[in-house]
Amino acid sequence: MKQLISLEINDRVYDLPLDPRDLLVDVIRKKVGLTGTKKGCGQGDCGACTVLVDGKPILSCLTLAITCRGKKITTIEGLTGDTGELHPIQQAFVDYGAVQCGFCTPGMILTAKALLDRIARPTEEEIKRSISGNICRCTGYKKIIEAIEAAGNTISAEGVK
Amino acid sequence: MYLDHFEYHAPQTSGQAMDLIESLGDKARLLAGGTDLLLMMKDKTLKPEHLIDINNVEEYKGISYEPGKGAVIGATTKIADLEHSTLIQEKYYALHQAAGELGSTQVRTMATVGGNSCHASPAAETPTPLVALGAKVVLSSTSGEREMPLEEFITGNRMNALAEGELLTRFLVPDLPPKSASRYSYIGLRDAMEIDAVNMAVNLTVEDDGRTVKDLRLVMGSVAPRPLVSTEVPSLMIGKEFDEKLLEKAAQAASEEAKPISDIRASAEYRRKVVAVLARRLLKNAFDAVREV
Ligand SMILES: Cc1cc2nc3c(=O)[nH]c(=O)nc-3n(C[C@H](O)[C@H](O)[C@H](O)COP(=O)(O)OP(=O)(O)OC[C@H]3O[C@@H](n4cnc5c(N)ncnc54)[C@H](O)[C@@H]3O)c2cc1C
Ligand code: FES
Ligand code: FES
Repeated sequence: MKQLISLEINDRVYDLPLDPRDLLVDVIRKKVGLTGTKKGCGQGDCGACTVLVDGKPILSCLTLAITCRGKKITTIEGLTGDTGELHPIQQAFVDYGAVQCGFCTPGMILTAKALLDRIARPTEEEIKRSISGNICRCTGYKKIIEAIEAAGNTISAEGVK
Repeated sequence: MYLDHFEYHAPQTSGQAMDLIESLGDKARLLAGGTDLLLMMKDKTLKPEHLIDINNVEEYKGISYEPGKGAVIGATTKIADLEHSTLIQEKYYALHQAAGELGSTQVRTMATVGGNSCHASPAAETPTPLVALGAKVVLSSTSGEREMPLEEFITGNRMNALAEGELLTRFLVPDLPPKSASRYSYIGLRDAMEIDAVNMAVNLTVEDDGRTVKDLRLVMGSVAPRPLVSTEVPSLMIGKEFDEKLLEKAAQAASEEAKPISDIRASAEYRRKVVAVLARRLLKNAFDAVREV
């Protein structure tokens, strides 16, 4: 049975007819049309579907959309500024060549965002631990780790969020 | 991959939650973090007609501590909140370690400590240290509450002692006496996102002399259908001075006590060897830690 449910995604409220069984990843991609969030394994293993809920990284493939009522959802589209300028983490991924096919990138960047919000300048070990649930088939992770480290430095220096 | 239809309930108070659990009976499942439940619903091993989401009930979550009494950990407390709690890190180090090893950043953000024990996978991370720390569970229903040690709550592979109408509301973890320390470790094929081949926790107290073992709990996970509380190792070590020879004997005793099976993750023989290695390492680490405090 569908009900009208309000979800706040990237600071915008969407009123959506939802079934309780609808998964957050499908709602974001198919009903809202924000396709930056990827669906890989659908089982919690790959991290491609990572979004932030109240600032924390969760797997949207294992989350019922209905449980996100009253919470703030942030997808990769929400990191970009109003005029389209990239967030420092996104910019660092570009600068350091941390993107190849790009399928893991949105989830990787959002996991990194949550890490940098918690620890401004994480160690390499902390970065590795934090992204251990985000699988990348292409890059070999080295450039991703460098990009997150660099983004941490930029954000700390400039005081951006 | 669509889930089957169900009705969703989001009680805001404990009273509402328990009323729903009672009236819906086995037609309903509780939804905590969903990291086990949604997988089972996706592969259709479970088809509940109702889901009762218990995450909005404030009194089911959070960590509190009272000196002399110990900690109360709400069932829907997230694994990440355990991992990052300075209280847990200072007082119950083994639990802090285990929380940090569960799944990934995202899984720890979603998964709850109550769900980990209720799902009761033999390879689960947090029941092992909780049992070593002497944790009790509180089970609540419309007709009241009862307490039991966590090792009795977990009755077998993915089985627990919840009666109809009951839910797990909190864990009670006793305060540790002076000169004690707890440690946790595991061995699996790789570091990240690993299902443990063997995990273990040790909770050690020594006498004022700093050498004689006063009290000890050693608990093994993934070597039996449910957490295995060693009887041999404490009976060998309590009252004796901690030294290398005793440590070696204790490691052997733990290994003989383990009842592992062979499966895709490891053979029984390998698991038994790993038990000895972990026991030696953890007893040593806990002993060194006690001597530092
Ligand atoms: C990718 C991935 C990796 C994982 N890695 C690990 C790992 O390394 N170690 C590990 O131990 N686990 C791991 N898990 C399993 C899972 O995350 C944990 O078991 C978790 O703690 C389950 O908690 P939950 O809150 O998500 O439970 P849910 O899925 O919400 O619930 C699990 C079961 O317990 C019942 N339940 C939940 N709470 C209560 C309650 N308070 N009272 C009564 N019944 C209740 C539910 O009805 C359901 O049957 C992993 C899972 C995934 C998806
Ligand atoms: S799609 Fe969610 S973890 Fe892979
Ligand atoms: S860039 Fe292709 S999966 Fe990471």
